[in-house]
Amino acid sequence: MSLLSVDHLSIGYQTKKGMLKAVDNIRFDLEKGQSLGFVGESGCGKTTIGMALMGLLPENAVILGGHIRFQGEDLASLTETQWQTVRGAKIAMIFQAAMNALNPVMPVNEQIKEAIITHQPDISKTDLADRMKELFDLVDIPARRMKDYPHEYSGGMKQRAIIAMALACDPALIIADEPTTALDVIVQDQILREIKKVQEATRTGLVFISHDIAVVASVCERICVMYAGQIVETGTRKEVFKSPRHPYTRTLLNSYLSLDNLNDIRVPDMKESPDQMIDTDECRFAGSCAYAKGCAGRSPDWIDISPTHKAFCCNPDMIRRGHGKS
Amino acid sequence: MEKADSKSRILVEMKQVTKAYASRKKLFTGSSPQVLALNSIDLSIAKGEVFGLVGQSGSGKTTTGRLLVRLESPTAGEIFFNKTPISQLKGSGLKTYRSRVQMIFQDPYQSLNPHLSIAETVLEPLIVQKIGTPDTRTEKVVHTLDTVGLSPGEAFFNRYPHQLSGGQRQRVAIARAIVLEPQFIVADEPTSMLDATIAIQLFQLLEQIKETFGMTVLFITHNLAAARYMCDRIAVIHDGHIVEVNTADNIIRHPEHPYTKQLIKVQPGFKYTR
Repeated sequence: MSLLSVDHLSIGYQTKKGMLKAVDNIRFDLEKGQSLGFVGESGCGKTTIGMALMGLLPENAVILGGHIRFQGEDLASLTETQWQTVRGAKIAMIFQAAMNALNPVMPVNEQIKEAIITHQPDISKTDLADRMKELFDLVDIPARRMKDYPHEYSGGMKQRAIIAMALACDPALIIADEPTTALDVIVQDQILREIKKVQEATRTGLVFISHDIAVVASVCERICVMYAGQIVETGTRKEVFKSPRHPYTRTLLNSYLSLDNLNDIRVPDMKESPDQMIDTDECRFAGSCAYAKGCAGRSPDWIDISPTHKAFCCNPDMIRRGHGKS
Repeated sequence: MEKADSKSRILVEMKQVTKAYASRKKLFTGSSPQVLALNSIDLSIAKGEVFGLVGQSGSGKTTTGRLLVRLESPTAGEIFFNKTPISQLKGSGLKTYRSRVQMIFQDPYQSLNPHLSIAETVLEPLIVQKIGTPDTRTEKVVHTLDTVGLSPGEAFFNRYPHQLSGGQRQRVAIARAIVLEPQFIVADEPTSMLDATIAIQLFQLLEQIKETFGMTVLFITHNLAAARYMCDRIAVIHDGHIVEVNTADNIIRHPEHPYTKQLIKVQPGFKYTR
């Protein structure tokens, strides 16, 4: 049994203009100790997936269909009271804005203790102290800084404290939503190493969400590329980044500036993003796709390239053939 | 390598510029320790050059940009623009200077006034600087919006920032900066809040503008790959000191300072997948 198995999940937001489908028919599995990355641009639905996995969807969000099975239990049907035993204890989240995720008027160690005591009210004082020391060791914060207030920490240390808090109850699954976006490159590098180290040491499942493809590539074994609420390509990190097949994945890779792909940069001709108010089976990327020929009116389908690598497109020949080196 | 240091072509020059900020006063001793944001830096940017300033948070790169557009004044040292010192400019002299030097800020969600329509935002510099008549100003705004890829310009006139995407807002910020046809633009992390596909389109736009108007650009970023893509020369700044200046290619291929080497090492890339 998979640790996490998401099946045909669709999530909509009730807006003034009608229902906006933010996540459309998503499926993926995650085993214990594995890492899965979601990459896509603002508005593609990746954060909505993270929020759904944490039971933190805003009030105007509706799960339109599908299942989220976690350790055999369907999370999509939990009540708020039931969620409280899962959230923080079995599934924990590393939030984006480390600056705002800590309580400014409470010492850092008290905030982490609070998380443990909430889920293990009977824990003894010595066990609690041992656990605290273990957690701060794990994220490399010196013990003498435990009782500091958040404002006495640097940005990187705050993010480490957030990681410690997420690990406090030894969860089976961690969701990291843009954990390094507000940090500069040097601190980002340290935090990414920290997350990888901790995830390998604790054998936790990791769902890692980012708009930055190189960051996802450095952390995750498997990747899902998202566009307009749908997964358009999925595979191992090597498959997706070395041999991208979906035209959108290629657009994304070709527009990403890194020191090792400078010569392959192509400026994309991206149109406005598709209207997600309209419920359609047609390809959502067709309007911006450089390879769309006769795709209009057709529905894309999953095309297998290898047992682990597949893409969602109208053009099976092009996907299987690949486009040569990207 | 371009001869960037031939004296006649220098547009902007910083000579031993120091900027200190007073930190909070100690309660009893009364002394106020100073934080040195910039420690005696020297920098010269040639006409028509795209010059990159790369460093991590707190290195002093944004302070440098703010000094150059005179949002701050140096504690010591002098800044020259077209060989004229600018740090003591006041009144009409400062106003004229501001018509030649413009800035594009990092966060397009905060740098545009939410109460001003797009037309008003781009018009304002023309009104402040008393350029043209109401009719020619409107024409100029439409033309500028077209230039930055918001076309047809009229369609954006009565829209407000909240109705635009992040990329479109940054285009408005660029339009506001170039409407006066300045000689020098400071772009402070103009794309760090935006997605890669949007960022690369803005880089292309900045390049086009630079070519069309012959502007000189200071490009401030923590992303070495972006700096290499955009810039002729790059300076690496660390703790208020410029540690290395070289052509963009040489900085990446033959870094000399240990800090530059570290910056290169931590740039996210696809080395894991090679």
